[in-house]
Amino acid sequence: MSVAEQNAARSSDTARARHRLLDVRKLTKHYPITEGLLRREVARVRAVDDVTFHVDTGETLGLVGESGCGKTSTGRCLLRAIDPTSGEMVFDYGDGRVVDIAKLEGRALKDLRKDMQMVFQDPFSSLNPRWTLLDLVGEPLVAFRVAKGRELEDRVAELLRRVGLRPEYLRRYPHAFSGGERQRISIARALALNPRLVVADEPVSALDVSVRAQTLNLLEDLQQELGLTYIFISHDLSVVQHICDRVVVMYVGQVVEVADTSSLFFTPKHPYTEALLSAVPKPDPDLASSRIVLKGEVADPSNVPKGCAFHPRCPYAVDHCRQVEPKLETLGDGRQVRCHRAHELSLSGVE
Amino acid sequence: MLRRILGRGQPVAAGVPAATAEPTQPLETETEKHDYAVASEWELMWYKFKRHRLALICGVVVLLLYVVAAFVEFIAPYNPEAQNPAAAYQAPTRVHFVDAEGNFHLQPFVYGTTSQRNPDTFELEFVEDTSVIHPLQLFVRGDSYRMWGLFDANLHLFGVEDPNVRLYLLGADRQGRDMFSRIVHGTRISMSIGLVGVVMSFVIGIVVGGISGYFGGTVDLVVQRIIEFIRSMPTIPLWLGLAAALPADWSILQIYFAITVILSLIGWTGLAQVVRGRALALREEDFIMAARLSGTSRTRIIVRHMVPSFMSHIIAALTLAVPEMIIAETALSFLGLGLRYPAISWGVLLQEAQNLRSIALAPWLLAPGAMVVIAVLALNFFGDGLRDAADPYKR
Repeated sequence: MSVAEQNAARSSDTARARHRLLDVRKLTKHYPITEGLLRREVARVRAVDDVTFHVDTGETLGLVGESGCGKTSTGRCLLRAIDPTSGEMVFDYGDGRVVDIAKLEGRALKDLRKDMQMVFQDPFSSLNPRWTLLDLVGEPLVAFRVAKGRELEDRVAELLRRVGLRPEYLRRYPHAFSGGERQRISIARALALNPRLVVADEPVSALDVSVRAQTLNLLEDLQQELGLTYIFISHDLSVVQHICDRVVVMYVGQVVEVADTSSLFFTPKHPYTEALLSAVPKPDPDLASSRIVLKGEVADPSNVPKGCAFHPRCPYAVDHCRQVEPKLETLGDGRQVRCHRAHELSLSGVE
Repeated sequence: MLRRILGRGQPVAAGVPAATAEPTQPLETETEKHDYAVASEWELMWYKFKRHRLALICGVVVLLLYVVAAFVEFIAPYNPEAQNPAAAYQAPTRVHFVDAEGNFHLQPFVYGTTSQRNPDTFELEFVEDTSVIHPLQLFVRGDSYRMWGLFDANLHLFGVEDPNVRLYLLGADRQGRDMFSRIVHGTRISMSIGLVGVVMSFVIGIVVGGISGYFGGTVDLVVQRIIEFIRSMPTIPLWLGLAAALPADWSILQIYFAITVILSLIGWTGLAQVVRGRALALREEDFIMAARLSGTSRTRIIVRHMVPSFMSHIIAALTLAVPEMIIAETALSFLGLGLRYPAISWGVLLQEAQNLRSIALAPWLLAPGAMVVIAVLALNFFGDGLRDAADPYKR
């Protein structure tokens, strides 16, 4: 479908889509497990399974869950760093162009890079150690032939200043910088083309606690200055609470709960969210720990349990949960939850 | 100095103050830190390599060997084919500093020798004629040669002026040829066959390894099994078979290249595995994905990101492959199936020494073996040092 056709198809609901930057529908990423020389498929890993959510302009959407729940795969699908198996990811450029990221190829896909960028988790692996800051931060500018020579240096110096690094560091190599500083370099690179959406994949989890706050504040400041939209992938709920407006909770490739941050933290609707919240450390030593320790391990995404994927670990599971897979239900005020017992349970959040 | 900074593992990354903090260190350390901060990959490798003393020394030895290989005609005092039946199996000439009268000479010198047959054993015995002193001199005119096929010359690095006095630093062989000159001449073929062979292996290895690592999956599986199959073949019989198939009327040059081809047919497997390993490791690096997400083209990613990341590892692997080639050439020639007379390589020289008489009466004929050991050890230690320094970013 061409861009024009898509525009026509979506013109009916432009009013609704005005603030909607990205609409992810039924996004699925399966990895086949193969065996032998002929690559016979013996099983498939459901890394991302039927994920639906949306992102509005200017907000920070959190994507949380345990490791292996598919949050990183989701983030990478959004940027087409990996190709999704199926599903739609409708992106609104804000100038009348609306595209399905899943279908982009060649030139159009490259164009998307200008508006969507990524900040990686590992500040060591994400910067080529053989390149200077000028090359690293200037890479997108060179790739899109935006600037070169003297102008490139000025642009990169400005970007470095913006993320709190000295512009005279231009000729230095990443090995001269600490993890926190490297993450700033990575952020500067992501901002080089002035994107609208930045996918931050656990940007602070590899950093020392002392520099986490600095980096988070930097991200917030940049959001305000540049009107950025973030998808913030994290397993650390205290960080998510600090920075996110809305949160998508994932479990074994599926969305189990979507809510704005305060509702999610105070009145979780899914037992998995409740368990995650109970694990957030509380700064007051007098508070009795009411941590819910989940039984067993995270389900194997290549062998998802029948019924509700969470039922083997769920303290509230009933027979129905073991038989029938729950659907993602929409409750009032934009909340969504994937649980049969969402209406009857009264779960505890953080006080 | 820099070494001090580097000596503590990862100190500088941690030691650089936060971006906004003002420099508090004295100026000297600041410049050092600056040097380190702007040091490129090759500079970092050099700092790291320098700390590996043995590798550094061996690197110098390797360099010397190649300098010798380049200037054999000039360094060897004599034409390696110059025969002197009167000097057959002559023992190494003794270099003196003190003459027969007990006077010390600053300049080393030799005495001329006369040979006479021992009436009891019928062996030739060599007696020094202590009446005339022949000083060793630098830049002596002697046997003429054609340098690199370009111009004629007769200058030699060192020697004795008197053409009637022969200097046999490492003795003489059956035909009275100077072993030292022959070993020096052998350096050219023995050292270069390693390089030429490695270049061929390198081309095959980088293509096959690159394909294997880049495509992965079934292609990788098949290629790896083929490599394992080739590696499992016993090399000597395979070489023997292939070498025996070479036409007998080929020129030295043709045989030389045929031998390098035979050697590289097996040598490429190791390099292919190094390249494949690096390609697989690189696929996992986030900076490759970051480059892709920055809109960088595939060609540019390969040329600017992947190849530079390979380079140092490949150079180290190449250096380690050279001694294998040298050993292989020596082994083949020793068995009489590699290079043959009139070519001169260490293996050919050893093949000529392959008889009881040499071992019993003229052990200096085994000196080429010592050269092989020195060259191989030097290349191995040098390669080890390079390999350790190849990834200065290892955490």
